Amino acid sequence: MRRAGLAAGVAVAIAALGAPLLLGRGTLNDLWNLALAVVLASSWNILGGFAGQVSLGYSVFLGIGAYTTVLLSLRGVDPFATLVPGALLAAAFSVVIGLPGFRLRGPYFTIATIGVGEAIRVAASSVSFTGGSSGVRMPAGSFEFGRNYLGMVILAIATVAIAALVRRSAFGHTLAAIRQDVDGAEALGVDATRFKLAAHALSAGLVALAGGLYAINFQYIAPGAVFDFRLSLSIVLMPIVGGIGTVVGPLLGALVVSTIQLKLLELPALRDSYLFIYGGLLIAVILFEPKGLVGLARRIVAALRTPGATPRAADAR
Amino acid sequence: MPGEALLSVRGLRKRFGGLLAVAGVDFDVARGEVFGIIGPNGAGKTTLFGCLVGALRSTAGEVRFLGERIDGLPCHRIVRRGLVRTHQIVRPFREMTVADNVAIGAHFGRGAHRAARAARAVRDVLERTGLAHRADTLAGALTIGELKRLEIARSLATEPAALCLDEVMGGLNPGEIAGAMALIRAIQASGVTVLMIEHHVHAVAAVSDRIMVLNFGRKIAEGSPSAVLADPAVVEAYLGSETPIEAA
Repeated sequence: MRRAGLAAGVAVAIAALGAPLLLGRGTLNDLWNLALAVVLASSWNILGGFAGQVSLGYSVFLGIGAYTTVLLSLRGVDPFATLVPGALLAAAFSVVIGLPGFRLRGPYFTIATIGVGEAIRVAASSVSFTGGSSGVRMPAGSFEFGRNYLGMVILAIATVAIAALVRRSAFGHTLAAIRQDVDGAEALGVDATRFKLAAHALSAGLVALAGGLYAINFQYIAPGAVFDFRLSLSIVLMPIVGGIGTVVGPLLGALVVSTIQLKLLELPALRDSYLFIYGGLLIAVILFEPKGLVGLARRIVAALRTPGATPRAADAR
Repeated sequence: MPGEALLSVRGLRKRFGGLLAVAGVDFDVARGEVFGIIGPNGAGKTTLFGCLVGALRSTAGEVRFLGERIDGLPCHRIVRRGLVRTHQIVRPFREMTVADNVAIGAHFGRGAHRAARAARAVRDVLERTGLAHRADTLAGALTIGELKRLEIARSLATEPAALCLDEVMGGLNPGEIAGAMALIRAIQASGVTVLMIEHHVHAVAAVSDRIMVLNFGRKIAEGSPSAVLADPAVVEAYLGSETPIEAA
C-alpha cells in the first residue's frame, strides 16, 4: 500500500516535471496554480493537521515571501535568490507570532491568528515600503514562466515529501501526541511550545517560498491580495476537504478546491459567491465526513471489503 | 527503611479562588520507599500531585527534589529531572499505538533516548508492565485495566527517580488490583521511589512503607500503615463512622 502510494507519487512528480514538453501554456498555468495550492495545503497541514493547531493567518507567510522577493528584486537581487531569505524571514516571524500565540489553546489560538493576519494586512496597506494599498511591481524582465513552473512543481513535490517524512518521524509522532493531548504530552516531558514553534516555522518557510514564486509569476502584489483573509481561509479549506492530518488529504483538497476556484472564476455569476460555496463545502465535510475525502475513501474501501455491508456503503455516500 | 530524602515538601499551598485545595502541607519522601497518600474525595490529593510535577503552579511553599527547588518549573523540565506522574483519568494518545505512546516518554524523559535505544527502552517497559502483546494496538482500543497500565508504562519510560501514581487501581477488578500491587512492588524493587494516591485502603496499606492522610488540604496523619489506620483522627475524618474500610 505504502509502496504503491510512493510509486504513484513518483509518477505524478515525473509527469508534472515533464509537462512543459507536451502541454500548452494555459494548461501549465493551471498546473502551476495546482502546485501552489498543494504547497499551501500541505504546509498548513504540518501545523494544523499534524500538530492540531488551526491557524487562519497563513496568508501572512505567503505575503512575507512575496514582499521579500519583490523588494529585494527591486534592489537588483536575482528573484530566485530572494526565495530563501523570504522563507527565513517568514519562519522567524512565525516564531514571533507563535511565542504569545501558542500560550492560547484551541479556538483561542485560531482567533488570535485571524487577528494577526488582519493586523498585518492593515499595517502593510498603510506603510510606504509595501507600496501602500496600491502595491508594488516586480522589476521589468523578471518574468520567466518556465523556470517558475519548475520551481513551483519542485517545491510542491518537496513539500509533500517533507510532510510524509515528518509524519513518520519521531518529530511527527510528537506533534501527533501534542494534537491528541497536549497536557498528557507535557506530563511525559514534551516541551510542547517548542515543537509547535518548530512546526509553525517549517510550514511558514515553505509557504513563503511559494509566496516568492507567486510574486515572480504575477509580477505585481498588493497587501489586499497577498494578505487577504479569504486566501487564509482557502488554505485551511483544502486540507480539511481532502483529509486533515494525512499526507494525501491536502493533495486531494488542493485538487478539488483549486479546480472549483478556476471553474467558478470563469463564470461571472459565481465569481463573487465562491466564499458561499466554500462555506457550504466546509459544513458538508464537517457534518458528513470530518476526515475529508481520505476518510470517505477509507469508508468505501472498508465497506467493499466487508461482504454484506452494502447498506452501509450506501450510507457512506 | 531507606535513607536520605528524595522529595521534600514544605508549606505547600494551592488556592483556587476562594478554595484552599492544599492548605500548607509538609512531608518528606525517602529514596526507595512507597509513600501512600489517602484522604476523602476533595482532600487535595490530586491537586498536590499537580503542584509537585508542575502541571499546576503552587500558590506558596517549597518543593525540593534531589536537593534542588523544582516548584515553578514547567512540567516537562520536572519530568527531565526524574519526577513524573500518571493521571487518575487516563489520557492516552488514542490514535497512536501502545508502543508509540510509550516511546514519547522514552524520548522526552530523563533518559532522552533516541532511535534504537528508545525502541529497546520501550520494549523493556512494555515487558515490565505486561503490555508487550499489545505493543502494536491502537491505545484507543485498550480495556480500562490496560489503559491504567499504559499510563504507568509511559511514565516509567521517562526513567523517573520518583513516580507519582494517581489512583491506578480505580475501576479495576480484584484480580487486576493484585496485578497492580505486584507491579508497584516491582517498580519499587527496580529502585524507583513511588508516591501513590489510592482509595483502596487495603491495597495502599499493603504496598506502602508509610502513609500520609490528607483532609481539606491538610495533613492529619503520617506514619506506618498500621499506625495511621488506627489513628482516631483518621478513623473520624477519613473512614467516618459507617463502613470503616472499603473492600479491596
